[in-house]
Amino acid sequence: MHVIVCIKQVPDTTNVRINPKTNTLMREGVESIINPFDEYALEEGLRLKDMTGAKVSVVTMGPPQAAVVLREAMARGADDAYLVSSRAFGGADTLATSYTLSMAIRKICGGRTPDLVLFGKQAIDGDTAQVGPGVSEFLDVPLVTYVKSLKADKSSYQVTSVMDDGEHVVTGSFPCVMTVLKEATTPRFAPLAGWRKAAKAEIAAFDEKALAADPIRIGLTGSPTKVVTIFPPPTKGGGEKVDARTDAAAGAQAIADFLQKKGLVKA
Amino acid sequence: MAIETDILIVGAGPAGLATAIALRRQATGRKPTVVVLDKGRSAGSHVLSGAIVDPSGFKDLLTDAEIEKMPCEAKVVKESFRCNFFAGFSLKIPWVPPMMSSMGFPVVSLTKVTQYLADIARREGAEVYTGYAVTSLIEEGGVVVGAKTGEKGLDKDGRKKGNYLPGEEIRAKVVVLAEGGSGILTEKLIADRKLQGERPQTYALGIKELIEVPAGTQTAGEVMHTFGWPADFSTYGGGFVYHISETQVMVGYAYALDYTRAEIDPFQLFRQFKTAACVASHIKAGKTVAYGAKVIPEGGFYSVPKLSTPGCLIVGDGAGLLDSLRIKGVHIALQSAVAAAKAILADGGALGARAKSGAIGEAYEKLVKETPGWREMARVRNVRAAFSYGLPWGVAAGGLAWLTRGAFPNFRIPGCEEGDAKALQPLDRADLARVQARAVASSPVQPDRLTDVFMSGVIHEEDQPCHLRIRNPALCAACEEKFGSPCTRFCPAEVYRREDGKLQVDFSNCLHCKTCRIKCPMENVDWTFPQGGDGPRYTRM
Repeated sequence: MHVIVCIKQVPDTTNVRINPKTNTLMREGVESIINPFDEYALEEGLRLKDMTGAKVSVVTMGPPQAAVVLREAMARGADDAYLVSSRAFGGADTLATSYTLSMAIRKICGGRTPDLVLFGKQAIDGDTAQVGPGVSEFLDVPLVTYVKSLKADKSSYQVTSVMDDGEHVVTGSFPCVMTVLKEATTPRFAPLAGWRKAAKAEIAAFDEKALAADPIRIGLTGSPTKVVTIFPPPTKGGGEKVDARTDAAAGAQAIADFLQKKGLVKA
Repeated sequence: MAIETDILIVGAGPAGLATAIALRRQATGRKPTVVVLDKGRSAGSHVLSGAIVDPSGFKDLLTDAEIEKMPCEAKVVKESFRCNFFAGFSLKIPWVPPMMSSMGFPVVSLTKVTQYLADIARREGAEVYTGYAVTSLIEEGGVVVGAKTGEKGLDKDGRKKGNYLPGEEIRAKVVVLAEGGSGILTEKLIADRKLQGERPQTYALGIKELIEVPAGTQTAGEVMHTFGWPADFSTYGGGFVYHISETQVMVGYAYALDYTRAEIDPFQLFRQFKTAACVASHIKAGKTVAYGAKVIPEGGFYSVPKLSTPGCLIVGDGAGLLDSLRIKGVHIALQSAVAAAKAILADGGALGARAKSGAIGEAYEKLVKETPGWREMARVRNVRAAFSYGLPWGVAAGGLAWLTRGAFPNFRIPGCEEGDAKALQPLDRADLARVQARAVASSPVQPDRLTDVFMSGVIHEEDQPCHLRIRNPALCAACEEKFGSPCTRFCPAEVYRREDGKLQVDFSNCLHCKTCRIKCPMENVDWTFPQGGDGPRYTRM
């Protein structure tokens, strides 16, 4: 069984601030990390490895320094790692990224279809949740999103997927693409010995030539989405406070008046 | 199975990384394998300093091109020293004493410099792994032969969680301790093997903020140092204001932990310091954006322990290698690192055998004593003790040491003999009430303590054993009676508070500054390691 986990290097958004004048991200002092949701996907892959002996490959698309997150994944137990990197891929939106990643996955699997491709539910920088589904389209492989629990053997799976209308229990046989929720698992820590091994490991790098990618479908050219402007969401002002500690009836009246004024309730 | 390496370095601060770089660069034959471990999430995340760095330390370590490219915020273009008499009145010292002058020196974020050194160390082939606390040394027959990392994935009761990771053993021919000030393993080794120098180490607590100010009001590279108010003239305390760009100011305050008055709250002193007229004008309309705190080992020459024991060397702040007049230690830490590497790489037999016999240690100690940093420390060896008699004596001793190039006084002035914990006097509650009534109002440039703690980026997994262990809770009750729980004031991160008549320890706020283990008058705090990777996440300190 071959599991491919797609991970992304993202800025640690707990630290990101937006320059109020230029509306650009202030990257100073912001660390790059594995997209936290991808850690759950990776853990699910590694758990399958523990249980079924599956081979786990990790792949990321990004600048050369994104290799760091691949090494971290290998330190935790992934078997091999692939870096999809080229200037030609720069500026890709989710469509171009999905295409490029699907070409990389085909290459990794030598043209065969992988058994399982795992993604985090979304990246914390873009928040689109589109690349997992996009790759499933390009690979023409079934998709299950928002996976909360995953049970599998070498050929079939049973997952619980959290949707707007409730939880779906889905069973099927591989191949499949899944996007994984935080609730699914707790990521493991990398042992030092794992880091040491990962530090010496070869990471295969793919550019557009290696992938034989269609030049008009990659990078900025292949991206119908254009970023017009970036702006921080307006800061919310403090709400109105009703102090009903001394007079509960007056407090209730004040709230009722407020709701009426907004037209939310009728008198 | 143990991990094997030639050299294990504990701590990826400037001293540890410099040792790694020097070892990899200066080896003539086979390059030794070097593993560097740090408990911070990444290199530099637990590193905090002023910092105007004396650039001399980098010369034997980095190439000119590398020094040129080092992250430097500004160069000192204008400097002043002021004595604060009270909030509204300070006097500028008309002339900057030459031994204190730092004109042209780089003003840096030591966090960023540490990241830079880590990149170089990795490029040179040292293995730098962060997020791993080294929690104990492995000793065999009196020789340090390795160390063990802490477990991860324990719950608050110490039970194994699903992601439990056991500690790992690292076996090394030489272990270099580069833990920084008040290092846990270092201090244990010093105590176990009676390595302490003539005096115990004495510390200051340093508190620092990065403040953003409107453009067009300040000049990059202008720096100011102050002494006096809000410290009384009997305690060693001083502040700094460094303009690192037109819109960013580093503001810091250091307060000696041998203070005697139990009502003292260094964080409140820091806030008062920011209200002093000569400081307030530099941070007008400002907003604090980053915060941190750390102890400075400032005992100097006489507080330096023996720097080695078979199998193990101590470098940098952990060894107290700091000029206690200028409160500068980075350059001496780097010099000690280069000395350690030189001693390790010297000819004369197999590495393991030389480490075991103590030959490397002897060579290292000899080399440290030949460094300019050590001579500087010897010259001002009496300054710190003189300050314990009050500011005028300290200044006089500093001046004399300079004028006579350290020849006078040529004996050891007694002072700071007892260690910081013992200095505290019983609390006068009326004094405490007076101090509390003077609390500074909050504003964007005067965040309250918890807002500041948030800006340090500190994160600890909540579901893990509390790493600040109270040895004997009964002593806390006695301390409340006698000293009024000074931990609730001296902790710059509000870890300790009294609730329902008991001491509450909010360990997840902890900035790893170690003040509690130094200053608790009952010596009742056992500082153990939280899960590796936890703690502050400094990025611009």
